[in-house]
Amino acid sequence: MNETNNNTADVIIIGGGVAGLSTAMQLAMRGQRVIVLERQRLGCGSSGRAAGLLGQLRGTAEHTRMLADGLEIVMELEKRAGVEIYVKTGSLRIAETPERAQEIQELVAMGKSIGFNIDHISIAETARRLPYMKTDDLIEACYSPTDGHLQPAELVSAYHKVGKGLGVRYEINCPVEQVIIQGGQVKGVKTPRGEFHAPVVVNAAGPWSYLVADLAKETLPTAAIGHYYLTTRPDPDHPVDRLSPAVRNRHHRLYTRPESGGLIVGIYEDEPVEYDMEKLPKDFDMSAMKAGRDNLNVALLIHLTQQRFPWINERTPMTISTGIMTFTPDGKGLCGPLPEVQGLFHCSCCSGHGIMQSPIVGKVMADLILDGKTKYDLEFMEADRFHDVPGYQERADIKRKCYEMYASYYGQVEKANVVVKH
Amino acid sequence: MKVLIPIKRVPDTDQKIQVKPDGSGIVTDGLPFVINPFDAIAVEEALRIREKSTDTVEVLAASIGPEVCEQQLRTALAMGADNATLIQCDASLDPWNVACVLRAFAGRYQPDLILMGKQGVDDDLSQTGQMLAALLDWPQATFASKIEFLGSGLRVTRETDAGLEIVRVTLPAVVTADLRLNEPRYASMTSIMKARKKTIERITTTELGVTIEPRLQLLGLEAVPSRRKSVRVGSLDELLVKLRAEEKLL
Repeated sequence: MNETNNNTADVIIIGGGVAGLSTAMQLAMRGQRVIVLERQRLGCGSSGRAAGLLGQLRGTAEHTRMLADGLEIVMELEKRAGVEIYVKTGSLRIAETPERAQEIQELVAMGKSIGFNIDHISIAETARRLPYMKTDDLIEACYSPTDGHLQPAELVSAYHKVGKGLGVRYEINCPVEQVIIQGGQVKGVKTPRGEFHAPVVVNAAGPWSYLVADLAKETLPTAAIGHYYLTTRPDPDHPVDRLSPAVRNRHHRLYTRPESGGLIVGIYEDEPVEYDMEKLPKDFDMSAMKAGRDNLNVALLIHLTQQRFPWINERTPMTISTGIMTFTPDGKGLCGPLPEVQGLFHCSCCSGHGIMQSPIVGKVMADLILDGKTKYDLEFMEADRFHDVPGYQERADIKRKCYEMYASYYGQVEKANVVVKH
Repeated sequence: MKVLIPIKRVPDTDQKIQVKPDGSGIVTDGLPFVINPFDAIAVEEALRIREKSTDTVEVLAASIGPEVCEQQLRTALAMGADNATLIQCDASLDPWNVACVLRAFAGRYQPDLILMGKQGVDDDLSQTGQMLAALLDWPQATFASKIEFLGSGLRVTRETDAGLEIVRVTLPAVVTADLRLNEPRYASMTSIMKARKKTIERITTTELGVTIEPRLQLLGLEAVPSRRKSVRVGSLDELLVKLRAEEKLL
């Protein structure tokens, strides 16, 4: 077989994170020959740094339906790969102010209106379930028993294992240098290992995705933003059960879930760190990112954590994880083609929710690529929704809007309506 | 009581370190630098001594090197050190030079205890603390995993290859910190803000009356080629053959 044949596929996927791996697996399930090109190692970017929370109740009913369907895919994946991915801990939202209480009430009403399993829970019951959390200042809480988290490493390995069994080829340490386009149609990509050819290329490059779009002279409205979370080590005085519910405490901008006997706590701070991916070294390794002992974002993270978990402070034995998220101006992913290049699909920018969305996003991408449509109303995450919209064309504007979205992510009070349509 | 913590600025060794083509050093462009992790442990221990002590304890961090070392001194201040001094020096230093500079500085500052990392994670020499104790003619306790105050001296648990060794030293003394001595804290927001405003004292090696005369010469650095490789074997028998015949491990 000559090199051209060797490097020819039906679909080439740029990026071996959860978005790319899930899409590859779904395409392979439908008989496609797929090559995944990963600049370093599979799952070594944002996917490997994620907390993996799964909160199914989102701003739109369609989004919630998609996430619930995604969970079915995860169950199947667990069976085929023989690993535990989904940890069904349930999840809580808690409120200490009237406006946050209102937010929860609207959310519960909306959830119930679409048949999602969610209900109010008393503060006493909240305290019983989370003995390690301060609850005496809470005025409202709700509980969703089917939420939890997906274990990111297990998810990556399951996608890989099942994909490999279906014939997906994974090229690691193989960065894409050029996107080959002829007459407005994508033909493949160029890498240090030579050219790879396919009539369809999927850009699933996460924080690098806007740079991949640049290679094809397309504009992807996304920015790379730093994120921090802490993981405490098991503390006999404050045991955290592995099935303790996840908590979202928007007033303090934090989310939390159990991890190996300790607690993961992350925040969406109002002054995040911005990254220009093009300025990072070519061999930049996200898994080697580290926060200094005098990092202000870490100090804020610990400070806010202490408000809700008073036993956690600067001296608590813990690990700080830091990585890069890919945010869009509205905090929703970008899936599908842009008008400029035929055959080039984007699948990225899930704004801190890539792990939980990846199972269904892979399915949706396979549908879009092979059928040109999907059964879901994808309006809220179509890749071209900012195309030609004034104010979303220049890098500086895009960056500012994404940054503002991240900064207000937990700061703003959510409006949940029983019927939501854009 | 005064505790002096010498601080070394080192590259973050979790990053990929590359040797310059001519072998004269490492490529530092874009490489993040941190407070030497063992020195951070020394800072933490000094802070704990201060917190537990009924006497007034002053914790002073000092670093020797160019202006950029200020960053690591700020980290020490943010963690809780009371004061910091930058001993300005642009020359490259070997452990002997560092020990000489620290002896001169200790002569001025008169600490009761010098607490420092057991080694820098950049060159892993593990000599400075020992040389400094010898130069000062102070007792030393290296590789400390536990420090207790006992009467007018210290009881130090040392980690050795043979097991734990417990020694008593009188003060003043030099103690070097091992990994399990403690787990350093993160700085709080208020202390980071305070540390930003603090004045860092500056003094030159000339003012300290020290002439830098290197005794160590770096002939060259060479990266060790990675020998890590993985091969999938079909059976246990095949694995045994490989381990015995090819790798000669059994």
